[in-house]
Order: sequence, then structure tokens, then C-alpha cells
Amino acid sequence: MKPLFTIIASILFSMLFYGKHIGLNLSIFSVLAILFLGLYQPKKIKDKRIVLHALAYLLTAVVVFIQHSSLAIIANCVAFFTLVGAISNSNTSIYVHWLNGLYTSIAGFFYRTFEVDSEAEKVNWKKDIDVVHWIKLIAIPLVFIIIFILLYKNGNPMFSDLVNMINFDFINFQWVLFTVLGYFLFSNISKPLTVEPATSTDLKINNDLSKSDSFSEDTLKKEKQLGTVLLGLLNLLILFYIITDITYLVTTETSSASALSNQVHSGINTLIASILIAIVIILYFFRGDLNFYSDNKTLKNLTFLWIGLNVLLIILIAIKNQTYITSFGLTYKRIGVHVYIFLTLVGLVTTFLKVMNIKNMVFLFRRNTQIAFIVLLLCSTINWDRIITKYNLNHAAAFDMDYLIKLSDRNAILLYQKKDDIAISDENKNRIDTKYRAYINKLNIRAWQEYSYENFNVELDPKTSD
Amino acid sequence: MNVPSNLAKSCSLATIIFWAVIAIEPIEFNALPFVILSVIPVFFCTSLVIVLTICPFFWTAKTKGANPVKVFKTWHPYYTIICFGISISVIVLADFESFIIAFFTSAFITTNQSWVWFAKANPK
Repeated sequence: MKPLFTIIASILFSMLFYGKHIGLNLSIFSVLAILFLGLYQPKKIKDKRIVLHALAYLLTAVVVFIQHSSLAIIANCVAFFTLVGAISNSNTSIYVHWLNGLYTSIAGFFYRTFEVDSEAEKVNWKKDIDVVHWIKLIAIPLVFIIIFILLYKNGNPMFSDLVNMINFDFINFQWVLFTVLGYFLFSNISKPLTVEPATSTDLKINNDLSKSDSFSEDTLKKEKQLGTVLLGLLNLLILFYIITDITYLVTTETSSASALSNQVHSGINTLIASILIAIVIILYFFRGDLNFYSDNKTLKNLTFLWIGLNVLLIILIAIKNQTYITSFGLTYKRIGVHVYIFLTLVGLVTTFLKVMNIKNMVFLFRRNTQIAFIVLLLCSTINWDRIITKYNLNHAAAFDMDYLIKLSDRNAILLYQKKDDIAISDENKNRIDTKYRAYINKLNIRAWQEYSYENFNVELDPKTSD
Repeated sequence: MNVPSNLAKSCSLATIIFWAVIAIEPIEFNALPFVILSVIPVFFCTSLVIVLTICPFFWTAKTKGANPVKVFKTWHPYYTIICFGISISVIVLADFESFIIAFFTSAFITTNQSWVWFAKANPK
């Protein structure tokens, strides 16, 4: 019975995606994939963690329909691989979920040729499935349905018209190949795999550090002295840098975009180098037995102070970036800087937790990748183009109109609505008109598979219906 | 480990997949010589990729006396993920151009199948 579901799913896959852009089809595919996985892995799909991953995947499916953005599509794909990987083994870290999910989805077929019981499975397949019965079950009704359709067609003109509307033109050799691709995908995910030894190694490693057998007080004392001197000096240096930076921020009034841009970018470069080196140094000193050395309090305090000062550095960079945004408008790069600043903050907090709770590096990697995944999901739920446009038109002291017009179509309606309320050239007004009309035209010619929320929303807007 | 046999099979597979994907319209009789001639560049590309990127895994394993199936299970996941990443990136960058799709689809399937053939050549 199950191979039949795979075939049905692969035909649906072709009907959804063949020759179509991404839209409603990806959302429907997500629901289909969850149902399919539930059918093939009924026990595993009840696991709370897997239910959570399935809900995250469903959320991304809804977001794809509503936002229709590249970021939403990427988030949906990542959530799909995470779900498949979680079904492979729900107890592994999220990056092992990605590894297992990705490998299962793209190459499960090749891996399964080495399964020990493949011969037995072939025998069981033949034994379990009565091929002749299935052929009869499909072929006989099909033949009779065709005969009766032809008969009824001659008896009723309305029925005849409806039958004539059925169009199988979409089926061609390419369509069949695409269906094979769908079969390949569904067949792969029907039995999720685990990549070894990555999966078993990950399962063996917990988050805690333990004392080694070669614990030596003398060596640790020397290492602690080195760490204390180094971190003490680095604390002084970063403190001096922060004081000069605050003084510069308070006393200097920068009005040119290039000067502010230089400040933000050089600040970011400093931040990248500083945070990376800070984390590497902390990880080096707290990689092993120094965590258990009784006289490590000073070193720990200096480490916490350094992390705190780095957080202060992050806040300063965020203030500079926000000043830049307030003066010259919001752009993807400037949002990216804020996201990077947030992720760096998360990195510092997890490093702090690692040192305080005596955790290992795997803990850092696990927590940071989990948070990065959540940040990706959350970021995908936002219509950034609209937010950028709205912010720049309403709040920014100065902005680049050309940049707003060149953004994706997702700000076309807002630009069209606002074009008469803002002081822009006639050329730009014409460009906005062209963009808007092209967008409405694109919405009108979309196939149902390509629909997004805007297909149901745009016509309701009185200002956009002309 | 029979490299010539693997190359011959891989080349045939790559040619079939490439033309199957690219042939939107039925191939005309006049175009058949080109289909046949295409075996030469396909063979060149396939051989280069297989000898440079897949054989080293099995040659190294052979010198260490390792099981080819174990080599497959250990290294194939990473190889295929990288291969998939490169293929998808190029296809997206080329704006889903049919020639590029055909080329990278055939390359992806052929290299994967080549791994299977190498691993199954002398399973212990």
C-alpha cells in the first residue's frame, strides 16, 4: 500500500511544481510532506520534539504563503531538513538533524542500496504486495470509467463540455521526469537515514566538561597566571577603547553618510576581530582542567568582565548603526548589521554560560546553532521590503528612492499608495507606476500553484484596484 | 576497483540523463550525430570528475585495507552534500537555464551512482 502513496505523492509533487514558481505549492507540499512522514513513521511523528519541528515547518509553510520571500523559502527548506533529520534521530543536535535530513533527502536512495536486509526486503515486497491484485484494482475500474465517460459524453452536452475541459497537455516527457524526481524525494524521506559516525558521536557527547586524568596543579597554576595577565591587559585595552569611543560619540557630530558609514563598518570590523579573539582565548583557557582548578576565581572574574565589556562594545556599535539608520534610512545591509550584533551578543552570553556552568565547546555549538535556526525562522516571518519602505518614507531623515524602487515587488503597493504623499521626481513616480502595474499583472497571470496571500488581498484594497 | 568499467558505465549514464533532461522536444534525426558526438565531452568531464574527486577516497582506503562500503558510508554523505550545494547554487545563479539543469542533474546522479559502483565492486 505504501509504495502507492509514494506514487500519488510524486504525481502531486509534479502537479504542484512542474513549470511553476514558488507560492502556494510549497505550502501545500509542506503539509503533504508532514502527512507522508506521519504515514511512514507513525510512531516517531508522535514524539514531542518531532511534533515541535513539524509545527515549525508548518509555520514556515504559512510564512511562504503570506510573505512569498526568498528568506521564507530558505527557512522552509531548512525546517524541512530539520524535520527529516529529527525523524532520523530526535536526540541529536540540530546541526546533525540538518546533516541527516539533507543527506536523507538528496541521496537516501543511493545509501539504501547497502542495507543488509535489502534482499529480504525485495522478497517481502513481492510477498506483501499482490501485484496482480493491484493491477486489477487500478486497471479494471479505469477501463470501465473511461468507457462510461465516453457513453455519458454522448448523452449530455453539459457533461460533454465538462469532460472536454479536462486537459492532460501538462503531461509530457519532462513532466514524467519531474514526477520521477518527486518519487525520488518521497522515496528518500520515507526511511530517514543517520550519517555515521557523526550521529553516534554526537549522541555520545554531552554538554558537560569532566576532570581529566592528567590533572596537574603546577601546569594549571602557570596557565592561570598567563591567562590572568593576558585577560587583565586585554580588559584594560578594551576599557580604554570603549572610553574613547563613547567620548567620540558624545563630542563629535557626524552628518555625512560616508563618515557614519566608515564608523559603523570599522566598528563592525573591530567587533568581529575582538569577539572572535575573545571567544577563542576564553575557549583556550577554559578548554579543560582549568575549570576545576580551585584558584581560578580571578581568571573567571576577568573573563566575565571581558565578556561584559564586549557586550558594551556591541551596544556602542548598535547605537552607531541605529544613528546611521535614523539619518540615512533602513537597508538590508543595516538590518544585517543589527542581526549580526544580536547573534554576537548571543555568542557572548552562551560563552559566559559555558564558563560559569563548566560546559564544553559542543554546548556552545549546540546552543548557538539552535538560536541561529530560531532567528532564521523569526526573520522569515517579517516582510522586510515593506518595513524598509515604510520606515524610510515615514521616519528617515534622508533615503535613497532608487534603492526602494529596486527592492522586490513586496513593497510595490505601499510605494504606489505613498507616491503622491512624498516629494519625489516625476521620473521616480513613473517608475513606481510601472513597478506597481507589472506587479499587479504578475499577480493576475499567476497559476493557482503560485498564489500567495497577496492574490486574495490586493483586490480588496480600494487604492490598488484601478 | 575497476576504474575503466566504472568510467564507461558512468559516461553512458551521464549521456542518457543529460539528453533525457534537455530533450524538451523530440530529438530530430538530423541532430542524432550531435547526440552521439556529445559522448566525447561527457566522457572527458565524467572521467575527470570521477578520477579526481571519487577515486582518491577508494585508493586511500585500498592502501589502508579499509572496506569500500565503509568508505562509502563515511565519506559519501559529505561528498554528496557538497556536490548538491554546488549544483543548486550554479542552477540558481544560471536562472534555471535548461542546459545547466541538465548538466548538473546528470553530474549529480552519475557521481552518486559511481560511488555506489566503486563501493560495490569488492564489498567485504
